[in-house]
Formats: sequence, structure tokens, C-alpha cells
Amino acid sequence: MTIDKLILLVEDNPDDEELALLALKQGKILHDVVVARDGAEALDYLFGTGSYAGRDVRLPQVILLDLKLPKLSGLEVLERIRANPATALIPVVVMTSSSEEADLLSSYRLGANSYVRKPVGFEAFSDAVQKVGVYWLLVNQVVAARRA
Amino acid sequence: MADTSASPRIEREDDGKPRILIVDDSLTVRMDLQQAFDAAEFDTVACDTLAGARAEIARQAPSLVVLDVLLPDGDGIDMLREIKTTMSPAPLVMLLSTEAEVSDRVRGLKTGADDYIGKPYDATYVIARARELIGVAGCLPKPAAPRLMLIDDSATSRRHFQSILEGAGYSVVTAESGEEGLRTAFALRPDAIIVDRFLPGGIDGDTVIRRLKQDATLRDTPCLLLTGATEDGEELRILDAGADAFLGKEVDEAVFLARMAALLRSRIPARAVDASISSLLGTKKILTVDDSITYLNEVSTELRQEGYEVVQALSGNEALELLEVQSVDCILLDVGMPGLSGNETCRIIKQRPALAGIPVLMLTAAEGPEAFIEGINSGADDYICKSSDFTVLKARLRAQLRRKQSEDQYRLIREELHRKEIEAAVTKADREIAQVRAALVDELETKNRELETFAYSVSHDLRAPLRALNGFSNALSSQYNDLLDDTAKHYLRRIHEGSLRMGQLIDALLDLSRIARRPFDQQPVDLSQLAAEIAAELQAEHPQRQVDCVIAPDLAAVGDRQLLRIALQNLLANAWKFTGTRESAHIEFGGRAQDGERVYFVRDNGVGFDMAHAGKLFTPFQRLHGMREFPGTGIGLATVQRVVIRHGGRIWAEAVLDKGATFCFTLRAA
Repeated sequence: MTIDKLILLVEDNPDDEELALLALKQGKILHDVVVARDGAEALDYLFGTGSYAGRDVRLPQVILLDLKLPKLSGLEVLERIRANPATALIPVVVMTSSSEEADLLSSYRLGANSYVRKPVGFEAFSDAVQKVGVYWLLVNQVVAARRA
Repeated sequence: MADTSASPRIEREDDGKPRILIVDDSLTVRMDLQQAFDAAEFDTVACDTLAGARAEIARQAPSLVVLDVLLPDGDGIDMLREIKTTMSPAPLVMLLSTEAEVSDRVRGLKTGADDYIGKPYDATYVIARARELIGVAGCLPKPAAPRLMLIDDSATSRRHFQSILEGAGYSVVTAESGEEGLRTAFALRPDAIIVDRFLPGGIDGDTVIRRLKQDATLRDTPCLLLTGATEDGEELRILDAGADAFLGKEVDEAVFLARMAALLRSRIPARAVDASISSLLGTKKILTVDDSITYLNEVSTELRQEGYEVVQALSGNEALELLEVQSVDCILLDVGMPGLSGNETCRIIKQRPALAGIPVLMLTAAEGPEAFIEGINSGADDYICKSSDFTVLKARLRAQLRRKQSEDQYRLIREELHRKEIEAAVTKADREIAQVRAALVDELETKNRELETFAYSVSHDLRAPLRALNGFSNALSSQYNDLLDDTAKHYLRRIHEGSLRMGQLIDALLDLSRIARRPFDQQPVDLSQLAAEIAAELQAEHPQRQVDCVIAPDLAAVGDRQLLRIALQNLLANAWKFTGTRESAHIEFGGRAQDGERVYFVRDNGVGFDMAHAGKLFTPFQRLHGMREFPGTGIGLATVQRVVIRHGGRIWAEAVLDKGATFCFTLRAA
């Protein structure tokens, strides 16, 4: 297990945040998880701006992105991630309650790598989070990205 | 006549002149008409037989044929029929024949003659009528230069002014008398008219101008009166007649031309004159009806002298027969005729919508109020005693024609106003409809957006807390299992299941709202195939079940494939579910014709329901069965109903408790 691999979880709902972390723990996925509570914070972390200015942070192996976020919406965050060469190639998994076709279309058009609808039942939710974690952290190969 | 080779003419080139073919076996008629047409600047040819006429027509098609009826080698009417049926475009045909038989006139007009002129004819009338007919047919192009009309009886004077005007670039048409001038003015519509004040015959220059100014089609044409020496008070009288200007005949050329130019500048821009307003000065056809040939001929002679074309009839019946084919401008009707009397004839004429507008003058030998009252009662427009002077008859005739023209004009104005009102109303209505529609579309879009937003927040925001309920109750029972007793575990399970159930309900509600929101994609759909697919899926989901599923072949519909699939899925899944307690389950999907409509149905032998509750079936979240026995969201049938309604159809159910249910629906999308 390579410990330097990192997950960025962008989630404003503390319940969902805790449940996601619980699911990862239950799935024995013990990688570091950075949580951003809104879109702006997520971008600050990724671009080294705002409260993250001057701090040397690791870029994540995968970003788990909620769509309904305060300040900047998930779709806007996705667009900015893809527009920045430093983050353009980082896998983004949209994790949301919405199953609206419009959200699915927009997410894929803006370059999401995956779209997962959060189920209500915890067993199903936990299963989905674990599968995503295992796949994007362990199975999937990424291009080594360094902050520009 | 002055040299006109370099001056503007009515038609500059021979090719542009309308071609007239005269067919008559009388040499004098041919010569007289040819001369008159040539002088009027037509391209004229004449021949004396039908054979000759055919050769001429073959050589070059004429614009108008003046055709005699009795010819040495055949009947002119046959020639007329030949021209009108074989040639395209068919030339105009003016029949020229003796007035002896009304039947000749009727036969000629019925065969398609454009006009019928009785002999003895008046050449200026024939020319004027030809100009009218050809002008109506659009064969007379208007020259670029202003066209002036000069009416003067003196040849010297005509040549003098014509050369001055043509030298200045005007196109000039001349007439020798007031009568000829008025008729030509109507046919040619000149830009201005110059009239010599002293004209021989019945109509002098003042009268010419007065009549021009009384005519709706010509009243805006500027008129210049040429006078001899002017005496005191003359000027007033001249202007009183309506002349726009007057000049002495010995006037200086430059002054004359300057005056002419000013007159043309002052002209009101030509209005589009409606063809249905007949000019008072155009050729007028008068039908005279009398049983006395002597009196008929006497009246005819008088009227022809005045420039009218006269059509004669010897009885009321003959007149009515004629009026079916011959349009006339006025009718002179003798009161005392054998057979159909004048009053009876008048009554019939006034009852026919096509004829009622023609002025009728009653002529009677008797004087006295009784005859007068009877005549007026029968609808006559005026009543004249035969013993009166012909000048009285002529004046009354003119008055009637003028009245008719005014009426026509006012009628046209009324119709035009009415049409504009209707147009305005229609435009206003269209605008209002468009506004209402735009507002509705706007409102609908707003509502749709609201619904989208609502659905979105339901989908997103309501599910998140459920996930928390479910997740944390789950975490509690798994992580603190040892600390909880059985009751606590049971409560946690209830919390867990409740949240799952609420999740299902939310999803079902979302699906229902999507039915209304998704775009409608209309196409032919094979319902039998859809049903078969769904049945196979249901069987795969419940492999332990044994269901006898019968699907009628070739049930087709036009509609949205996806929506129809959702509807059938719900109906078949319901049938599947409610036959779950049956030892041998039967499900049938079929169709039948009923009251001219296609009715589709899904029938099962399941538990059915009490028809007393049938009204609640399609209401969302209404359930007729216990949750334990038959789980469900209560949204399925509401969804089916929405699909059916979006297809313009109806849905209903028939059931017997414990015996089975049948759901029927129609689709009217096609």
C-alpha cells in the first residue's frame, strides 16, 4: 500500500462526510483523505491559493466531488479543475444524490471520469464508496502530476 | 399635321401598337373603320371573308377582332367560337352586326363575344370601346412622357398646339369634338386636358370641363381652357365650370408651356381607379325596351347622337333574356307593353341581385300621379312622360348614370373601410392571441423551471438526511451490537427500513414527475414486442414463478416508446404482483376495437379489488392492498395514467374482488 496516495473529498454535508469516511474505513482503505467543505476550498487546495497559499500540499490520486455545494457548484469546480493544466488529468468521480439526466450530461461533458449516485441505504452507499476507492486508488493508473 | 417623327407618340413603334383585325364584307364599313383605327394609332388590317380572317390571324394574332356576323363564306359566330376556344390568349372579339334580332346579340355574347355593337354604328364609339377593352386587358402601355389631350375643332389650331407640345416632349392625343374628347379621355386617362372653349355641336368647352369634373375617374385631371378674347366676368364663369386654368388662344408659346408645366405639377398623384367604378364618360350602353319599333328607333337615334350605344328589346321577356348575357348601364322601360308589362319587368329586374343596381327609367304615354306612383312602387329609379322633349330624357338619363356612379363609388369606399376594419380587427385578434400564447408559454416555462428546481431539490436534499438516518442507525447496530438489547435492535431496524422506504417513495415521486417533464418523441411502437420484453424481464426477476402470459400479436400504436414502455411495465408488473398468490396465474395483454377506438387491455386473474374503491386507483400514494401482502409505492398506476394522458388517451379499470382485474387504455397520439 502506497501511503502517499491521497483522496480529496469535496463534500459540504457533515453526515455524508462522516458516512463516506466510515465506509472507507470499513473497506480498509486507509489512505489520507483531505476534505474540502465547499467548491472554493477545494480549488484553493488544488491550486495552492487562499488558505492553502504557500503550503506544499500533495495533489490527490482521485477527487470525489459532490455536485450541490455552497459558493462554487460541483460542476463549476469540475470545469476549473479541467481548465488548469496542473489538475486537468486528475480523475474526478462525481458523487451526488441527483440522478437527473441534466446533471449526468453536464458532468460527463465537463470531463468527469465517473458518476456515482449516492444510495440511501448505507450498505449500498458503503459498497459504492469502497469500490470507487479501490478502483481509482489501486486498480487505475494515473499520469504523475506535479503542481506547475 | 406637324412632323412628329421625333416626338413622343402613344405608341412609338409599330410593334407596340395593338393590332386590330376588321372582318366585314362591306367595303365602306372596312374603309371607315380602318381609317378610324389607323387615326387612333392602332395597327389595323381588314378582310372581307372568314377565310381571309383565318389567314390574317395565322399570320399574326390580333389584340382585337371587329367581326361581322353575316359573312359570304360563313357565320361570324362560328369564327368567334373558333377564336375563343382554340387561341390562347384569345384575342378580344367585338361583334358588329345589325340590331334586327335580339337573339343574335344573345347568341354572340353567350358564345364569348367581349362586346356586341349594333349597326348603324358610330366609329368614335367603336374606337372608344376598343380602347376600353384593350386598356382593361392591359395592352396599352402608358408612355414615359406626360400624355396630354387636346380637344379643338379647328385643324389649324390643333396642329399649332400639338407641334408646340410635342416639341416640348409631351405625348399628344387630339379630338375634334367634345363628345369624342370625353370618350377618349376616359379610355386613355391623359395627364392633362386642353379644351377649346368654342366647340360646335351640343357640348362646348365649359360643358366638357363640367362633365370631366363630375366624373369620379377623371375629376382630378387638370383642365386648361383655351379662350378667345376674354370679356369682363368671363373668368369667373370659366373657373365656375371647373377649369383649373385658362389661356387666350393667341398666347405666347413660352407662357403656354410654362402654364402647362405648372398645371401638371399641381396634379394630384394618380389614384388607382377601381375598374368597377365606371366612368360617366366612358362608353355607355343603354337598353331601351318598347313594343313600338318606331319609338325604339326614334329614341335610339337621339341617344346615339349623344354618344350612347343602344341595345333594343321589343318586350319585357326579350329584355330579361338579354340582360342575362348583356351588361348595360341604364334601362329605358316602356310601361304599356303587351305581355309582361313595364312595371312587372321592372319588378323582376330589381329582384335580381345582379341587375338591381342598374338604373331603370320608366317611359309612359300617360301623365298623372297614378302611373307615376305605380312605376316608382315597382322599383323604378325615375319616371318620364313620352311626350316630354328628348333633352329632358337625356338629362334625366345623365342624372341616373351620375347617381349610379356615385353609389358605386360610395359602395366601394364603404367596402374598403369595412375591409380595413375587418383587417384591423383580425390583426388585433392575431396580436392578442399571440400575446396570450406568449404569456402562456412563458408561464409554462416558468412552471416547468419551478418543477425542475423542485424535483432537483427533492432528489438531492431530501435524500441526504435519509442517508444519514440509514447510515448512522446501521453504524450503531454494527459497531455497538453488544451494547444493545433486542428491543433496541428492533427499533434500529425500524429506523433503517423506514429510511429505505422513504428513499423508494422519493424515487417513485421523481419518476412520476419525469413523465410530465420529459420531451415527447412520437413514433410507431410495437406494443406486443414491448410487452413480450417486459414479461421476459419479470420472469427473469422471479424465476420461481409460473405465470401463463398471453400477448396478442401485432398490437401497434403511435407514441413515445419510452413512456409506453414505462406504462406497460407498471401494468404488467402489477398483474405479476397481484397474481402472486394464485396457483395458476394468467396474464393477458390484448387489444379490441370499441366505439371506433382501439382499446388495449392488461387482464389478470389476481386478487382484484373492490370496484367501490376504483376511483382512488390512479391517485398517487393510494393503495388498495396492505403493504405486507403486496409491497409497493402506490405510484405505479398514477404513472401509467400520466403516460396515457400525455398520449391523449383514457385509462380505466374493471375488477371483481378475488377474481382478477382488467386495466384498459386508449391512445390517441396518432
